[in-house]
Amino acid sequence: MSSMGKLNQHQARTAYLFITPTMLLFVAFTIVPVVMALYLSFTNYDVVSRMDFVKLDNYKRLLQDELFWTTFKNVAFYSVIFVPLNILISLGLAMLLNFRRYGVKLFRTMNYLPTLTSAVAAATVWIWLLHPEFGLVNNLLGYVGVTGPAWLAQTETAMLSIILVTLWQSVGSNMVIYIAGLQGVPDYLYESAKLDGATAWDRFRYITWPQLRPTTFLVSTMSIIGALQLFDQAFVLTQGGPGNVTKTPVYLIYQQGFNQLQMGYASAQAFVLALAILAFSFINMRISKSEEPIV
Amino acid sequence: MKKWMTVMTMSAVLLGAATGCSNNGNSGANGGGNATNDNGEASGNSGSGKPVELTFWGDWGGEGQKQFETMVDAFNKSQDKIRVKYVLQQDMITKFLTASTSGGAPDILFWDRWRTSLYAPKNVLHPIDDLLAADGLSRDDFYSEALKELTYGDKLYGLPLTVDARALFYNKKILADAGVEPPTTWDELEQAAIKTTKWNGSKLEVAGFSLGDPGLFNMYLQQAGGSMMTEDGKTNFNNEQGKAVLTFWDRLLNEDKVYKTGFEQGLGEGTDAFVTGKLAMQYTGPWMLSTYKKYGKDLEFGIVPPPVGPSGDKGSVMGGFGLVIPEGGKHHQEAWEFIKWWTANKDNALLWAKTSLNIPGYKPALEDPFFKDDPFWKPFLDTLEFAKIRPAHPGYSVMENDALIPNLQLFQQKKQSIEDTLKKSQQRGDQLLQDNADVK
Repeated sequence: MSSMGKLNQHQARTAYLFITPTMLLFVAFTIVPVVMALYLSFTNYDVVSRMDFVKLDNYKRLLQDELFWTTFKNVAFYSVIFVPLNILISLGLAMLLNFRRYGVKLFRTMNYLPTLTSAVAAATVWIWLLHPEFGLVNNLLGYVGVTGPAWLAQTETAMLSIILVTLWQSVGSNMVIYIAGLQGVPDYLYESAKLDGATAWDRFRYITWPQLRPTTFLVSTMSIIGALQLFDQAFVLTQGGPGNVTKTPVYLIYQQGFNQLQMGYASAQAFVLALAILAFSFINMRISKSEEPIV
Repeated sequence: MKKWMTVMTMSAVLLGAATGCSNNGNSGANGGGNATNDNGEASGNSGSGKPVELTFWGDWGGEGQKQFETMVDAFNKSQDKIRVKYVLQQDMITKFLTASTSGGAPDILFWDRWRTSLYAPKNVLHPIDDLLAADGLSRDDFYSEALKELTYGDKLYGLPLTVDARALFYNKKILADAGVEPPTTWDELEQAAIKTTKWNGSKLEVAGFSLGDPGLFNMYLQQAGGSMMTEDGKTNFNNEQGKAVLTFWDRLLNEDKVYKTGFEQGLGEGTDAFVTGKLAMQYTGPWMLSTYKKYGKDLEFGIVPPPVGPSGDKGSVMGGFGLVIPEGGKHHQEAWEFIKWWTANKDNALLWAKTSLNIPGYKPALEDPFFKDDPFWKPFLDTLEFAKIRPAHPGYSVMENDALIPNLQLFQQKKQSIEDTLKKSQQRGDQLLQDNADVK
């Protein structure tokens, strides 16, 4: 027994040794900045000339800042549509492509490709495709006699366009995660279910979906976080326009911090955003837990 | 969030430096003055020895970088006391900020002039009034609006390198086919736009006049006889002049239908609506000249100063760049020599103009036939005579981008009336101006 203890101790020490560099980096580049940002959110820090403690002024100003809450409404709308669609489409793709058949790898690769493009480059190409007069999308619509909208320039369609473009770009990587998840579901479960006469839907509902719960939790959490932090695509596609319908909190934070040099206020905004992300991730965790346990 | 985190880390690392700075913020400014004197002597001594090395930061890459390097090389060859080196900084302003607190500031900085009102109060730029006076340079040789944009309080913080303003570009062929002359008034503009617009069912084939950029409101407002802000820092467009602009836009967009929202969005250079003959007239600036000239015979275009408003008021917005001396630089005197050589010398300003196809801020250089006799430059020079800078308020750009433009976009899409648009822009705009006014 004592030798086991020693071995464990030794292993533990080695383990700590191995994770030390990562933890040091984590502390230096994540924990310290977060604490700093929290402190800065109570100051009027401007990078260059001042850093005075202003108590709750920044947060009071936040409450009055209509635009900040508008941006929250925007990303909320975005998330409500984006997150479920993201899960649905990537799971659907994964189930379609989860066969060992000739050529299936080609399709997997093709579905994954958009993920590899840079967000900005892809968005630039999409601006082209979505052009009201000369874009591919409206040209195709034109063949069936529909006059397509000015996708990115109209308040009704601007956010939808961004949702579509970001979906196109993110389902690929989630599909890969789901395929991995699907391949981890033991075959004997399906076999015995089949023997018991379960239909395809039953097998999905009572085996695949519950077995994939950890995967779905991962995918949904990552998409919620990504959705609330939407920035690049929205910035390139619409610059926050038209009429502020696609402005996002991160866009505002960036602007306040770097263009207006109000780092203190920007930190306060960032903290509210971080809290919101935390809250939604927590809700997501709760929902995921409340489902029936795995088998 | 990732980007944000990196930045916070950076700030955290700089915390020591920042607090150090806030302690001696004032003494730093005073010290800067002393340093200049010291350096003045130092450069006198070093005349016989090694040249002083200066760093010049800019955010122009590619062609722009080559143009800068041409000027820097010419300067380095012209004397042997100072050696300037151009350093391309992609994220220049952010780097400049951190450098200002940590002591790595460059000696010369390429400067988007409108930023002056935000940065000068923070003592990161070195005032040049004394240097200007010592060398006996006349302020009248520069565009006064450009100098105004480089001024904060009573101090001047740099010299203008380029000046620009928008004028009306028109496609000669389209206008000739429609039998119209280049417009000089709003009414003529409207008529010319109506005659050059072509619809094919619900598809707009040729737009008569571009209304794609609501950010040009400022320019129209001047033409209507108004101005964006009052003396005491409030918005000044919820009035008759503002209404006149929006009524004009409303007519062009919804009655005359000379444009369609989103028409030009996303069209890059090769597919630019003006290049491909899908747009008859538009407001743009001298920066498009080299692009459009490339198309030669395929695109015959002319330029006229912006048409005047109903009561004959002229208006255009002046922008452009300058050169400034960061307070944190170690060689203020030498940096000034370089700036003076480039921006306040007729031959060098002209060399710069010919190299980069920009209009220099130094007026004597514009007497050259290169500008005076050129049909493309002339209208811009005429426009610059009356063009005004954006109001020098630190919150102006936020007001324009977050309050005014979004409301104008809603208006252009018929989502709200003229009255609501102006009222909301005013309320929100005044709020943003107030929130961002305090920069000290």
